[in-house]
Amino acid sequence: MKKPGLIKPLYLTVALLVLAVLTGALISGCAPDGGNNGELVVYNARSETFVKPLLDQFEEETGIRVRILSGREELVNQIEEERNNVRADVFISNDAGAMEYLRRQNLLAPNDSPALENIDERFRASDGSWVGLSARARVLIYNKNLISEAEMPETLQELADPKWEGKFMITRGGNSSMVTHVAALREVWGDEETRSWLSALHQNAGAITGGHTDIRRAVGAGEYPFGLVNNYYYHLQLEEGQDNNVGAVYPDQSEGEMGAFVNVAGMALIDGAPNKENARIFIDWMLEDEQQFEFSYHSKETPLYPKIQAPEGAKEIDQYRALDINLTDLGPHWPDAKELIQESGLDLGI
Amino acid sequence: MPEKETACAENRIAYYRQAALENPSRFRLYIWRGNPPGFIPEALALVTALVMFIPILYVLVRGIQGGWERWLTLLDTRIPHLLWNTLSLTVVVSLAALLIGVAAAWLVTRTDLPGRKIWAWLLALPLVVPPYVGAISYIIVFGPQGLVRNLVGEAPFDIYSFGGVAAVLTMFTYPYVFLITSAALKRFNLNYEEAGRMAGLNHLQVFRKITLPLLRPAMGAGVLLVSLYALSDFGLVSMLRYTTFTTAIYFQMGSFDRLSAAVLSVVLILITLVILWLEYRTRSRQRFVQDAGTFRKPLPFSLGRWRLAGLLGLGAVVASALVLPLSVLVYWSYYGIARGALDGRFLEYTSHSLLTAGAAAIFCAVLALPLVYLKSRHPSPVSSFYEKLALAGYALPGVIIALGMVFIFNSYIPALYGTAVVLVLAYIIRFLPQAMQAESASLNQVSPRLDEAGRSLGYPPWQVISRIILPLIRPGILAGMALVFVSAVKELPATLLLRPPGMDTLAVRIWIEASEGFYDMAAPASLLIIIVSAVPLKWLINRF
Repeated sequence: MKKPGLIKPLYLTVALLVLAVLTGALISGCAPDGGNNGELVVYNARSETFVKPLLDQFEEETGIRVRILSGREELVNQIEEERNNVRADVFISNDAGAMEYLRRQNLLAPNDSPALENIDERFRASDGSWVGLSARARVLIYNKNLISEAEMPETLQELADPKWEGKFMITRGGNSSMVTHVAALREVWGDEETRSWLSALHQNAGAITGGHTDIRRAVGAGEYPFGLVNNYYYHLQLEEGQDNNVGAVYPDQSEGEMGAFVNVAGMALIDGAPNKENARIFIDWMLEDEQQFEFSYHSKETPLYPKIQAPEGAKEIDQYRALDINLTDLGPHWPDAKELIQESGLDLGI
Repeated sequence: MPEKETACAENRIAYYRQAALENPSRFRLYIWRGNPPGFIPEALALVTALVMFIPILYVLVRGIQGGWERWLTLLDTRIPHLLWNTLSLTVVVSLAALLIGVAAAWLVTRTDLPGRKIWAWLLALPLVVPPYVGAISYIIVFGPQGLVRNLVGEAPFDIYSFGGVAAVLTMFTYPYVFLITSAALKRFNLNYEEAGRMAGLNHLQVFRKITLPLLRPAMGAGVLLVSLYALSDFGLVSMLRYTTFTTAIYFQMGSFDRLSAAVLSVVLILITLVILWLEYRTRSRQRFVQDAGTFRKPLPFSLGRWRLAGLLGLGAVVASALVLPLSVLVYWSYYGIARGALDGRFLEYTSHSLLTAGAAAIFCAVLALPLVYLKSRHPSPVSSFYEKLALAGYALPGVIIALGMVFIFNSYIPALYGTAVVLVLAYIIRFLPQAMQAESASLNQVSPRLDEAGRSLGYPPWQVISRIILPLIRPGILAGMALVFVSAVKELPATLLLRPPGMDTLAVRIWIEASEGFYDMAAPASLLIIIVSAVPLKWLINRF
């Protein structure tokens, strides 16, 4: 047997020191290194690929260290839960409904920065607490090998028709684009009709995915003829090296129809933000021309600031019939919309 | 002799009970069976055990308090569907893993298959591939937009189906059965089978009536691990778009409907308990003792013309559970690295993984010591009770532990909520039992006589611990740390739910990249996790 050695007091001291340092580092949230200008905590519900380059650039230009927490719409609830324990400074969202909901819950702080005036009043909160940057319309992406534009349904109502059973894809009910879309439909159709439409949609959908990327890829690959997505997913799929024979139908465009629903992506200033000054700096910075262009260019959304050119191939905001509804009106209906979705049998989760 | 000892112990217990009845101050002596530990080790063990158990208790309480209304709605809508999804997957994967594991174990231990030593290693290796990483490689190859489809025009089968999920999950869990069953087969005594042969049974009957029953305990232990894994897996099932209790709890928490998440957790905890109880029942009803005195190693079974079939079978398993994932990940890492996956951020994610997992490993090694020490040196109902409390987190899925942490920290300890402390504590709760197992295996080999020698030479108890016990069980401590470290690096659901902003780890990055479909960007991190996991493989395999 090996002769038992001695654990020297030195070892013990070192071990205790390591423990103490680790504990300290962990409590302080893992050593905020670099950046003498403080930090900025961004909760990001948008695809990270579109946001990260901008945040990196901001970090570089200002020396403010950006800490990002990427997720999906659950971040809305997280902000709500952390009401008495605020961690986030800025919330980047794909959904005006979610931001307006937060504002009405008194979770956002007003912002009077003149930079906000670049954006049309329709696309920002009355108190400036959130501001839209890019528009996103709800469209049907389809695979041209499987179905022609003429065969495609022209209205969303038609998706409830059994003839489309198993032919299309939707996202899970909790996807924030979906929730706000449903909130808008409720305004137009009323509860009953929306609920039965959702049930039929749930019945008919061939696949229910977590997000829209799955849908554009699957439709592009010919797994399903078409799917309900935001317009820019169509443009993203066009850019793919393969599986790119896709088209997009803006629904409900005929005379007398309601038009396609348009949502906006943007950013919101959190009430009680620990780094409020940095949050304001960030929002002003994002509203500069270059950043506005960047924000919508990579995701192929339509910029809301008229000076900025839309990406090639993307429809300008006035080129199609949009559902005439004020986005700020949707906030209060947001939780009801979720409830309605759950009642219809469509899961919020995957 | 054993009867005498038991009788002695019973007398002693009766004596202490009597003493405690007569004088309440003797109560402590009674519950510790006359051998109470010092105050400091007991306080440490007690606090650790409580901290390990409170979050789970809290989830249970909140779930039960969830309200009839919520229970009824959930029982009506979600639970039946989830029960069916979860149980069918658990049963199918357990059976498939049992079949593959036992067949492979028999082939490499009992037959004349060529290269059995190498096969044994290759078949155990998939243990280092985290199942969600394995799932990514299967999506890359067989997914609807995968490699196969690009080559032949359409995907050969639907990977996002029950069959797909079950097959992939089986591929990365069968090694549990394989390792435990091979270990049992290696200790197998030829005498029993020979007796059967002499009694006139043919090969098949011997296998059915003698070999199989003798293997039952090992198979049961393997299936237990597989089914507990299937119940708790989050990454693989969610990547393959399958809904079980864990994913439902995760998404319910995501929408911060914590009470519903707690209700679902209660059901999942019940299922886990039922499985543990079933295994305990089947195990305790059957007892086999193999007489070591007359041990004779069985002769290898000659496969004859079945040799090729055996080789092909094992080859297929190794190809799908090891070669395919590794080669796909290496190939894809190449693309990912060319696209700049290995930037400064990657280093940052790696350091976050190392820091959190390292902290968890160190804390686990330290915190396990008092518990293990009490259990080994002061055996009594009290020390077993502390141990059981501390083990509670072991069988339970990470989502439930994360749920408990969020409940407690957001409501009562807001200052720490949202820091890495919560994350590390979750790791400790989940993985402390691994450190305890490794350390107690080592400590049990150190005879208490050595402690006594130390004491009689004048060392106080703490010096006995630091000068005799700690140096002797160092290998166990290190092994425990390695196991905890690797488990924490791989951990996904609790990390996703508890990570502070800006502290993404490698596992989190894999999940984010994969959920956006950027598998090439997820590949380098996946490969790194596999390499890290391979480090304590020696200890991992020796555990069985």
